[in-house]
Amino acid sequence: MVHTIRVTKKGDQDSKGQDLLAQIKRTLNIHSITKIRTTKVYRLEGISKTDLKKFTRKVLYEEIDQKVSYNGSITKDANQTIEIAYKPGVMNPEVGSLLKAAGDLGIKLTAADSSWEYGFFGKITRVEAKDLITKLRLYNPLIEHILDQKPKTLLIIGKVGKTQILPIRNMTDVELMNLSRDKLFLNLEEMKVIQNYFKKIKREPTDCEIETLAQTWSEHSGHKTFKAKIMIDGKEKEPFIERLKKEALKHKKNIVSAFVDNAGVMDFYDGWAINGKGETHNSPSAIEPYGGAMTGSGGVFRDIVATGQGAKTVISTDIFCLANWDMNPKKLPKGSLPPRYILSRVVSAVRDYGNRMGIPTNNGSFHFHDDFRAKPTVLVGAYGILPKKYAKKGVVQKGDVVVSIGGRIGRDGIHGATFSSGEMTQRTITTNAQAVQIGNAIEEKRTFDAIIEARDQDCIRAMQDSGGGGLSSAIGEMGAEIGVSVQLKNERLKYQGLNPWEIWLSESQERMVLAIPKNKIKKFVQICKKYNVEISTLGVFDDSKKLKVFYGSEKVCDLEMQFLHKGLPQRVMKAKEVTKSKSKENKSPNIPKTQTEWIKTLQNVLSDGNICSKEPVLRMYDHTVQGTSVLQPYTGESCEGPNDAAVIRPILGKPYGIVVSHGLNPILNRIDPYWGSIWAATEAISNYVAVGGIYQDASLVNNYIWPFPDEESLGSLDRSITAVVDFMKTLKIPVISGKDSLSSTYRSDDNFVLKIPPVLCISAFGKIPDVKKTVSSDFKKTGSTIVQVGKPDMLSMGGSVYFSKNNLLGQSVPRVDLKILPKVLDVINQGISNGQIISCHDVSEGGIITAIFEMCLGGTVGAKINGDKKVRPDYFLFNETAGCFIVEVKSKKQVQKLFKNVPYKIIGETIKKQDLSFENLFSVNIGKLKISWQKPMKEIFK
Amino acid sequence: MKPKVCILRADGINCDEETFYAFEKFGGAPEYVHINQLRSKIKRLKNYQILAIPGGFAYGDDVVSGKILATELVSFLKDQIQDFTSRKNLVVGICNGFQVLTRTGLLPFNRLGEMDATLEQNESGRFECRFIKIKIEDSCAIFLKPYVGQIIDISVNHGEGKFFALPKDLSKIEKENLVACRYVDEDGKPTQHYPQNPNGALNAIAGVTDPTGRILGLMPHPEKIIELTQHPNWRRGNVKALGGFLFEGMVKFAQQT
Repeated sequence: MVHTIRVTKKGDQDSKGQDLLAQIKRTLNIHSITKIRTTKVYRLEGISKTDLKKFTRKVLYEEIDQKVSYNGSITKDANQTIEIAYKPGVMNPEVGSLLKAAGDLGIKLTAADSSWEYGFFGKITRVEAKDLITKLRLYNPLIEHILDQKPKTLLIIGKVGKTQILPIRNMTDVELMNLSRDKLFLNLEEMKVIQNYFKKIKREPTDCEIETLAQTWSEHSGHKTFKAKIMIDGKEKEPFIERLKKEALKHKKNIVSAFVDNAGVMDFYDGWAINGKGETHNSPSAIEPYGGAMTGSGGVFRDIVATGQGAKTVISTDIFCLANWDMNPKKLPKGSLPPRYILSRVVSAVRDYGNRMGIPTNNGSFHFHDDFRAKPTVLVGAYGILPKKYAKKGVVQKGDVVVSIGGRIGRDGIHGATFSSGEMTQRTITTNAQAVQIGNAIEEKRTFDAIIEARDQDCIRAMQDSGGGGLSSAIGEMGAEIGVSVQLKNERLKYQGLNPWEIWLSESQERMVLAIPKNKIKKFVQICKKYNVEISTLGVFDDSKKLKVFYGSEKVCDLEMQFLHKGLPQRVMKAKEVTKSKSKENKSPNIPKTQTEWIKTLQNVLSDGNICSKEPVLRMYDHTVQGTSVLQPYTGESCEGPNDAAVIRPILGKPYGIVVSHGLNPILNRIDPYWGSIWAATEAISNYVAVGGIYQDASLVNNYIWPFPDEESLGSLDRSITAVVDFMKTLKIPVISGKDSLSSTYRSDDNFVLKIPPVLCISAFGKIPDVKKTVSSDFKKTGSTIVQVGKPDMLSMGGSVYFSKNNLLGQSVPRVDLKILPKVLDVINQGISNGQIISCHDVSEGGIITAIFEMCLGGTVGAKINGDKKVRPDYFLFNETAGCFIVEVKSKKQVQKLFKNVPYKIIGETIKKQDLSFENLFSVNIGKLKISWQKPMKEIFK
Repeated sequence: MKPKVCILRADGINCDEETFYAFEKFGGAPEYVHINQLRSKIKRLKNYQILAIPGGFAYGDDVVSGKILATELVSFLKDQIQDFTSRKNLVVGICNGFQVLTRTGLLPFNRLGEMDATLEQNESGRFECRFIKIKIEDSCAIFLKPYVGQIIDISVNHGEGKFFALPKDLSKIEKENLVACRYVDEDGKPTQHYPQNPNGALNAIAGVTDPTGRILGLMPHPEKIIELTQHPNWRRGNVKALGGFLFEGMVKFAQQT
C-alpha cells in the first residue's frame, strides 16, 4: 500500500505561499483568494505501519515548526487543494535520499516519491484552481502533472521489448526519409549510404544499429557542417574546423591539448594544467528551461572532469540570450514558452545545480532580443584544473575494461543528440518530450569525488562523459580505433522495460564511461564504493575493430568501426558570400536637447536588459564557494559595482590564478558577421585585460549558435570564421576548444520562419602569476584622472543600445582597429601591473557613460566628464567600440608617460559629490541612475 | 603537537577543501575522512581532537537541509560521537554542518537524537551569497574567548539559515550564553534588517554553541575569509580577513588541553 505523509509549517509563515498569492494578485488580477498554503507530500510504499511513524518522526517531519498528517488532508479548511507531482518515470532526485535514510534507520521501504500540494483558501472552484496553476506555470506538463488520484503503486513495471529488424534495403527514397523524420534527422544522402552498407553486407539492420548510426552521424556528434567542404559562390574553401585548427596550432606556447579532448587544456604553474569548455543546451531549454539548463550545467561540468584522466571543475559561467521579459505575448510563436518564465527557470536551474555541486558561478551575462523568442540560447561554460601528467586524452588499450559509473539509465533523454540537431518546429514540444530530464547534482558530485581519487591512484586510462548520445556515443568513440564488445544486461536501470536500443542510446545524466586497466579494476571498484558511486562493468575493449553490442545472448549491434566513424560522406555545402552590411538603414537619432531629455535617455539606456544590473541573479549563485574568488562579480563600497571578468586562485595559498571572461553581441552579427565576431572576440579579451589579465597567456573557446545552415546563414558563418582566424593572427593566441550548434531556426506549419540572431560567444581563460596584480572596476579615490584608452570608431553606432532605444538598427557596426589593439592591451596590462591604473572598466554595451556610471557607483563617488568637440555628444557617450577602456589614474602627471604609444584622451576626474556630469549638458545624481539600473532585475527576482 | 582534525566528507559536502586549508594554515593537522570510513571503522573519531563538518549540500539537502546526514550520524555513529564529545574534544559545523549539528540535537543543548532548534528557509525565500558582518559574542564557546567583541566581514552562502527555536528554548539559549555570534549592522548592533541579517534569524543569531562550549555551529563561512584577497574589497584598503578566529581558536585550545 502507498502511504501519504503531508508536512506543512506551523503558524502562518509560508513564504512560498505568500509569493504565490502576490503573484496571483499582480499578474492575474484575482483577489478572491485569501491565502495559499504549501505542503510537502511524501508517498511511501512497502513500509510497515510502525516503521512509517518512526520514519516520519525521524526524517520527514520536525515537530518544532511543522505539522504532519498521515494518509489524510492537512489543510482541512482549505477550499481546494491541488497536488503537483513528477510524472511516473521522471526521476525525482529526492527519492534516492529517502531510500537511503530508510536504509540507515534499518527500515524496509520499497519505493518513495515526493511532491508539492497547494491549498487555496477563499472562493475558488477546482477548475479555477487548476486553471490558475496552469496559467502561472507552476508545473511543466512535460515532466509533471496534477495528481487527481492517489497512485496505487509507485513501482514502474515494464517488459523488455524485442529488438526490431528494420527492412531498409528495399525502401524507396520517400520511405527512407519518413524513417528519418522526427527521429533520425539524417538527410537522404546519408540514409542511402546506410542503405547501401546493409545491401553490401547482405542483411537488414537492427533498430539499435540504425540508432547508433543516426547518433554518431548527427550534427550534434558529427559536426558535419564544420567538417564540410564549403563552396562559396562556386569557389571551394577548406572546412571551417580545419581553418580554425590551422591558425590555432601556430600559437602553441601554452597548449597542452586542443580540439581532441572534451575540453581544451593549457599550461598552468607548478606541474598543473587548466582546461575550459563551453556548451549549449538550447533545444531542451526551449521546452523545459529548468531541466534543460540544469542538464546543460551538468554536461559541461562532466566535459571538464572527463578531460585527460580527470580534472576538478573550479569555475562555472552562464550566458543566456532570451527574448525581452516584457515582450508582447502575441509575438510568441506557437509551441514556445513565455520569455519571463524561461528567464526565471534557467536562473533557478543554474542556482540549484551549480550551488549543490559547490562550483562557483562567477561570470556570465544576459542578452535580450525578441528574436530569441522561439529558441533561447543557454550557454554554460566551465573551467577546471588537473595535474599536467594526467592532462592528455587517454588512449584505450586492448583488454581495458569498459565501466559506467554514476546515475542509472532511464528512458529520459532518448534522441537528445539527434533532436538538438534538428530545426525547432511547433511539433517539437509534443514530439520530443522525452528529450528532457531533471538533473541530480549530488549524483554528479559524488561521481566527481570518486574520479579524482581514482585518477590520483592511477586507475583511469581514458574517460568519456556519457551525455548526448549516451553509451553509444561514449563507448563508440572510445573504442573507435580498436573495437569493443558490450553487454547491456550489466547496465543498471532506473526501472525495467527499456528496449536494448533505449539502454544504448539513453542520455540519462550524471554518468561517465571509463576505460580501466584490468589490473586496476579492483581498486577502482573500492574507490567507487567509498563514495557511494554505483558501477556497471559493461565489457572489454578488444582488437576486433568492431562495435559489438549484446543484450544477453542476443547480438543487437555489429558494425564495423571504419564504417561507423569514417563512412559518413563529407558534405559539400553551398554558401552565398556576405560582403556588405546587411542593414541599409542610415537614419540617426536626435541629440537630446535639455538636461531632462539627457537624463531620461541615460535612464532608458541603463535600464535596458543588456545593461541593467544583474546583481539579484548573482546573489542567488554561489560565487565564493571553494574560497577561491579574488575578484568577485560585484565589488565596491556596497558591493554593487560590476566587474569585467572573474579571477580565482584555484590552489589556496599560491599566488597564481586563473582569469575567465567572455564576449558576445548577437545583434551585431546580423548586421555584419565579420565585424560582429571581431567585436565579440575583442570584448572577451578586453574584459580579460581590464581586470589585469595578460592576454598573451590566454586561450580562447568559441561557441557558435547559428541559424540552420542554408546558403545565406552559411555565408555569414564563413565570415565569422574568418574573423576568428584573423583575431588569432592579430593577438597570436589560439582557440583551443569550441562547439557549434547550427539549429537556431524556427519553422511553424504556416511557413512562418524565424532565424534567431547568430551567436558567437568567445570565452577567454588563462593564467596569471600573481593575483594581487589585478584591479576591480570601482573608482578608488576622488580627484583621480579618468582616461579613455583605445580607438573608438565614433561614427559606427549600428547595433548599439542607444540606437535600439531610438528604434534604430543602424548600418555599420563599430570596427576594432586590429593594428592598435595589441598595443592598447599591453599598455593597460602594464599600468595595472605597476599599480598606476587603480581601477579599470572595459567599454561595451551602453558606451563610456555606462562604464563611468558603474565605476562611480562602486566607488561611491561622482565624476565630471568632458567630451570631444569634433564628435556628437550622444555618440561620444554611447558608442560601443570594443577594445576601449576607462581607467582611473591617481595623478594627471602619470598619464602622458603611461599612454604615449596608444590613442588616449583625458576625459574627466572623480569628485566627492555623487553626481555624474557631462560638460554643461547634464548633471545627475548617481543614486537616481542606480534606481533605473537596478530596477528591472529587482522586480523580476523579487 | 598539531591537533588532528577530522574533516568530514559525505555525498554533497563541498566546502571540505577550504576548511582543510583553514585548519592547516592555523596549525592543525587536518585529514579528510569519508563518513563511510567511519561507518566501516577504517577510521575512528577517537583518533582526532577536532571534528569539522564543512558546508555544502549533504545528500542534496533533500527533505530539509542536513537532515539525511544527521539521520546517518545519529543512526550509525551515536556512540562514537558521544564518546568523542565526552572526552572534551571540539566539534564545529559550518553552514550545512551547522544545519546537521542542529538536526542531530548536539546544538544547542547537546541532546543527541533530539531537536531543540532549527534552521528554516531564509525569509527572502532565496539562496543568498553575499558578505555581511557578524560580531563574536561573549558566550560559553571557550575557544572563542580571545576574539569576543570582534566584528568580522564574512560570506554567507545559504538558502536555509534562519535560526529558529520556540520561545522557552530561545530564552534558555540566551540565558545560558549559547549565542556565539550575531549578524550586526554598520554600527555593530544586532540587526533584523535584510540583508545585514541575511535570513531573518531570531535574535540575529548567526551561530550557537552548546553548554559545554566545545561544540559550535554557525551559518557564515569563516574559512572563506582567512586571506585578504578573499574579501570583495581588499583593493580598497581598510578591510581585514578575520575568519581565522575560528580555526586559530580551536587549534590553540586543542593544543592546550
